Amino acid sequence: MAIKVVERHGNTFEEKMYISAIFSGMKTTLKHFTKNLSDSSNIQTVCYPESMPTDITSRYRGVHRLTHRREDNSIACVACFMCATACPAECIEIVAVDRQDGVDEKMPAIFNIDLLECVFCGYCVEACPCDAIRMDSGIFSVIGDKREDFVYDKEKLLSIKGISDEEYSLAK
Amino acid sequence: MNTLLILLPLILTLLFSLATVPILVWMERRVAALIQDRLGPNRCNINGIRLGGLIQSVADMMKLVFKEEFLPSHIKNRFYHLVAPSIAFASAFLTFMVIPYADNMVISGKTYVMQALPVDLGVLWFLAFAGLGVYGIILGGWASHNKYAMIGSMRATAQVIGYEVAMGLSLVSILITYGTISLNEMVTYQTQNFFYLPAWGIVLQPVATLIFIITAFAETNRAPFDAAEGESEIVAGYHTEYGAMKFGLYFVAEYIAMAASGALIVTMFLGGYQIPYLNTADLVNNFELILWIIIIFAIVSSTMFIRWVKKHNILIMDGLNETKVYTTLIISFTLFAVILMSYYALGFGGSNEVGVMILQVATFSIKLFLLHFIFVWVRWTLPRFRYDQTQKLGWNILLPISLLNIFITALVVVGVNYGN
Repeated sequence: MAIKVVERHGNTFEEKMYISAIFSGMKTTLKHFTKNLSDSSNIQTVCYPESMPTDITSRYRGVHRLTHRREDNSIACVACFMCATACPAECIEIVAVDRQDGVDEKMPAIFNIDLLECVFCGYCVEACPCDAIRMDSGIFSVIGDKREDFVYDKEKLLSIKGISDEEYSLAK
Repeated sequence: MNTLLILLPLILTLLFSLATVPILVWMERRVAALIQDRLGPNRCNINGIRLGGLIQSVADMMKLVFKEEFLPSHIKNRFYHLVAPSIAFASAFLTFMVIPYADNMVISGKTYVMQALPVDLGVLWFLAFAGLGVYGIILGGWASHNKYAMIGSMRATAQVIGYEVAMGLSLVSILITYGTISLNEMVTYQTQNFFYLPAWGIVLQPVATLIFIITAFAETNRAPFDAAEGESEIVAGYHTEYGAMKFGLYFVAEYIAMAASGALIVTMFLGGYQIPYLNTADLVNNFELILWIIIIFAIVSSTMFIRWVKKHNILIMDGLNETKVYTTLIISFTLFAVILMSYYALGFGGSNEVGVMILQVATFSIKLFLLHFIFVWVRWTLPRFRYDQTQKLGWNILLPISLLNIFITALVVVGVNYGN
């Protein structure tokens, strides 16, 4: 087997003096400084509340939403409790009822997500067999005055629009 | 007038040490941000006026002052714990007292010394108090009775042993060159020319200058020699157990020490308050011409500055219209200064001595702030030295070089004097 000998750097006199390396480093930082001082539009910093981030994709894990069925626009969730089981923060509260309109067997009567407890891990989305819960809303900032404001109920979750192309549930 | 001129150096000392601290903090944060392609503090405002983020450092200082004073119960030596930051602060502050801000002024036969403490042993005073500043750090770390603080102060001790010798020896070669320890006489010496170059310390003694600047960085405990703080390894080092204004004193002391070292470097190596090629007598005689040059410079620079502000002030805050306020202020200030200077430039004013003094103080502060910029620039470029590397640098590299430098300097000085 051929042995590749890697030459060690830093042993020449010039490199041991450090002076040239220090000056080239200083030159780099000064270049950044003068460039940014003369034209601050190069700086990528987003002045947040005034200008919003533009790079949030549909894969960003934002606030959850519940999807609708394509056929009749009713709730896609079948209250199987998979998401509540998968949730490590135990922030999902579901109460199931029989579904009377014949579209499916079950549906949630109550579907609450406590966003103060949620860790936004996305396990609920992965666990869902019906593509009924998604986190593609793109909402990264949730504001409220009381703790109750952060508990999103079924109607609220159904009303949130997604930013991905797919609006309805993809489940068969 | 008499009292004012005697008090003036004291006022200048207060301005240069205490009043520049918020400016230095602001400069540090802004320069760091721009070097790292960020914006830096730009939100804190008083009715919409942000002064480019300067209000932030005032707000930070207010926060430190009004924070609760907290003394950990495990600390046995409360006196030492309380007195340590004061030592660091006071010695950093006292270092400034011997810096000459302008040449000795002779008005109607009376000489006014532009030094807060008119003594001739400037360099010795600096060495004494700059060395004492480290004791504040060591004592603080020891009195905190905390292992991180202890390690921090041990590192500070190790560092002092490393650099102090090289610093003293690099000063010796400078003293041999100038033949004096009075800082004002050093500046007077530097007004001469040396083969078409101003005979500044950096031209005559480049090696000693480099060594002194390196050790001055170590002296002020700033990066790349801030191993005593070492926030990535030992929490916050010597000030782990300090909060509120006790921490604030350490924080301010670091910046004052930086300002003082910078002032000494300017005085000894960069010609002090002197404008290159123009000594004090030339300035007094050609004062009108110089004023006209300054007037033109002021108009051009303020126009450029207004354009820069208009281009970059894009974040609109509530309250006053900032761009408009700045433009009005700059224009009115420039007009005022131009009118005042033209009054003197046309020869209506009386003595030129005071004008020259103001000019020299301005030169000194410009040089000082350029040097502060270098301090900040180095801090945000170079990585931290490990403390054994600092010692190795001090003992193995800087000490032999400075000894050799003394030897060569002494030979040259003796040779030149013998030749004359």
